[in-house]
Amino acid sequence: MNLSELIMARRSIRKCNALPVEQELVIELLRDAARLQPALDAGAWRVVYAGTPESSKQLVDYMLAQITQSKLGKLIPGKLLDVMKRRFTEIPAHVIVLSAQGTDRLTSDRNFAAVCGMMQSFQLLGWERGLGMIWDTESIIQNESFFKGIGIREDERFVGILHLGYFDKAPRGRKRTPAERKWTIWEGSTI
Amino acid sequence: MKLSDLAEGLNKPIHFEERPVSKELMLELLNIAVWAPNDGLREPWRFIYVDGQNSGILNRLQEPAPAYLLIVMQAEHDSHKQEEDFAAVSCLIQNFRLLAHERSLGVRWTLNEWTYDRKHAEAFMLQDDERIAAVLEVGHIAVHADVTSEKALQEPQLRFELL
Repeated sequence: MNLSELIMARRSIRKCNALPVEQELVIELLRDAARLQPALDAGAWRVVYAGTPESSKQLVDYMLAQITQSKLGKLIPGKLLDVMKRRFTEIPAHVIVLSAQGTDRLTSDRNFAAVCGMMQSFQLLGWERGLGMIWDTESIIQNESFFKGIGIREDERFVGILHLGYFDKAPRGRKRTPAERKWTIWEGSTI
Repeated sequence: MKLSDLAEGLNKPIHFEERPVSKELMLELLNIAVWAPNDGLREPWRFIYVDGQNSGILNRLQEPAPAYLLIVMQAEHDSHKQEEDFAAVSCLIQNFRLLAHERSLGVRWTLNEWTYDRKHAEAFMLQDDERIAAVLEVGHIAVHADVTSEKALQEPQLRFELL
């Protein structure tokens, strides 16, 4: 598969099979992704990894803390909550990515953007090895108990969780708008 | 060719040839790059092509380059959506950068202070709810001495911790 085919073939994968994911492979792919991002300094990002059934369960508890602790959440039937939890605990590995905010908006944005670029490479490198991922930024998980649980530091910005695993079936792609329709040629100042 | 094989070339400093970059080639690559993940298929991006010969204020705001591509993103009111969109746009840029490199096009991915300035945004006819997510400096890569930077030879440092 060449690079163009790889980029167009990649899908977000929400349902994984039970095959375990080796932590060494995740680290290898993260290193490869970092290598494709030379402008990204090691100090500008950090990964927190959950790759065991216990840590997955722990992570999902943090993710759903907001819901389960809310008044409304107390009314959610236990069974439904279990279904919600299982959706994630059945995924074998979770890569939480944080970027450094630095001292100003520009540094924070630069780091965030470069880290996202690295994560896209990581997704593509994973796809080459049969790994599927879903990039999770659900607003419902982003709250104090979640951030405290994963141990985010004061100067860090949450970029996302990549839930990943091997999969049996990839969904069909959704067509993109041709770039021509989102393209303008700047003709110089009109004033 | 595996994706990881591109790493060595991407580590070298980028010097451009002076010749222009064809718009058709840029569009061809962008049409693949748009297969970036983006929440709800919002496709929160658009592109402004600026010729390096007629670059207006970019002339003093950016390094010289044969062509510039302003990546403009829709700035949703919801700050959470805005983060998602910034991430999606960054994935698109990464795709473009990798694809370009494969075709010997160099891309310098820049974000500078001036992009936050609404006055400058108006010069490029941005709408009130749009912002510049990046300015890409694009050109054909000049053949240069085969220097591999020290950084390229080093094993990248990871900060990898267990939950």
